[in-house]
Amino acid sequence: MNQTMLVSLSQQLATYQAMDSIANNIANVSTPAYKRETPTFQEYVAKVQPAEGDKGSKSVSYVQETGAVRDLKEGPMETTGGKFDFAIHGNGYFAVQTANGERYTRNGHFTLDLNGKLSTEEGDQVETQGGPLSITPQDGDVNVAADGTVSATINGTQSQLGKLKVVSFANERALQKEGDSLYSTTQTANPATNVKVVQGMLEASNVQPVIEISNMIEIMRTYQATSNLSQTQHSQDMQSIDKLAQVQD
Amino acid sequence: MRALSIAATGMQAQQTNVEVIANNLANMNTTAYKTQSPEFQDLLYQNVETPGSQTSDSGTVLPSGIQLGAGVRTAAVYRITTQGALESTSNTYDFAVQGPGYFRVVMPDGTDSYTRAGNFALSPTGLIVTQDGYTVEPGISVPANALSVSVNTQGQVQATVPGATAPTTLGQIELDRFPNEAGLNALGDNLFQQTQSSGAPQAGVPGAAGYGTIQQGFLETSNVNAVQEITSLITAQRAYEMNSKVITAANDMLQMTASMGQG
Repeated sequence: MNQTMLVSLSQQLATYQAMDSIANNIANVSTPAYKRETPTFQEYVAKVQPAEGDKGSKSVSYVQETGAVRDLKEGPMETTGGKFDFAIHGNGYFAVQTANGERYTRNGHFTLDLNGKLSTEEGDQVETQGGPLSITPQDGDVNVAADGTVSATINGTQSQLGKLKVVSFANERALQKEGDSLYSTTQTANPATNVKVVQGMLEASNVQPVIEISNMIEIMRTYQATSNLSQTQHSQDMQSIDKLAQVQD
Repeated sequence: MRALSIAATGMQAQQTNVEVIANNLANMNTTAYKTQSPEFQDLLYQNVETPGSQTSDSGTVLPSGIQLGAGVRTAAVYRITTQGALESTSNTYDFAVQGPGYFRVVMPDGTDSYTRAGNFALSPTGLIVTQDGYTVEPGISVPANALSVSVNTQGQVQATVPGATAPTTLGQIELDRFPNEAGLNALGDNLFQQTQSSGAPQAGVPGAAGYGTIQQGFLETSNVNAVQEITSLITAQRAYEMNSKVITAANDMLQMTASMGQG
């Protein structure tokens, strides 16, 4: 195969991946605290054998995917009115105890398990500073302050139940997505500063449909252009074979 | 091309979303109905290049890596158990719970179920029963000659009978609470059943600490907020549309691929 075909193939493979990541962003437009991702590409320069009679070296650039950049911008806050729905304003994550160890999430839709322990919909316990947090019906109205302090009020008397563990990381982008809105990392989790926990709200997905759809159109057109290029190259090859065969006659 | 299947998961999720909204709107006038809401979560990721893996011997690492997502799934459809508004009906056997707690009802098979819909009636034998004829525990019998029946906020049922000056106490209605009421299993007919995730019921007297009070002559309306549901419906419809656009685009790309090299 000649270089044109290979270069356009690398471009087509890259656009396939870009399309997949847009599809994933759009599919998660209603997932709380989902962070959109965009793939990044770079050129991979390869030397090619110069044609006969050509002087100097020539090179072509292939397309190479190098990574996906997570857009960490905070999603819009949506009021749900849920007693155990929490949004984090600022750079912080809730810590959750799963079967595979500690995981982190910004999706603060929690519920109580059968023992009254605060947990995710998957049944993983939400971590607090100092011991697990159980809420019983006898505790009364549960209130969570901006710093994550959970307190209950019954008949006018207030009692503190615990404090939600909100953590932050030195390199947020290096957190690995695990699905189920969870992240894992080997980094040390530091207590988050300058964060605000808001009760009765959830952080929505930060996917902006306009951007995704226009990116999608661009990718489609790029793909079309590259595919036309391969097409042109293909017909050129066919023609040259035809012409050369005629000369032989 | 994964975009096709990813967008399909997105369409499925939005379909669930619309179904939940439809059910909420259909139950807008159902006594004590609680709004449901779906929760979506991203699916597992395929690690093409793990973030933090080494890129050279000198210890430089990948800052972000490549993680390919597989779409979205519905993790749960949960109930929002906020109090509904109380509507005056002036009916003797209409009870509303103001605050937390459920009435306990005996099912025909002898098991207990729980409800907040207090639109009760009398059975042929004078028992207080639900609209389906199931006994409301603890099985309070109202004498046939009772002139009036009253229930106070603490759930005490009293009747005035002819010839008596003081009202007779007939019984005490109890309320049950659960550690996790969102975990109750909905049976339909406004009834709920205890599950593994709801925890065991804890009976108590209405008005006691942590329990609601009973209002006679009132019914709890549904807590569906029509404006919010319609807004969610529009959002869901648009999201569905966008996912279908992705399918169209992915299909177009595949078509171009298939037609490459022809002619």
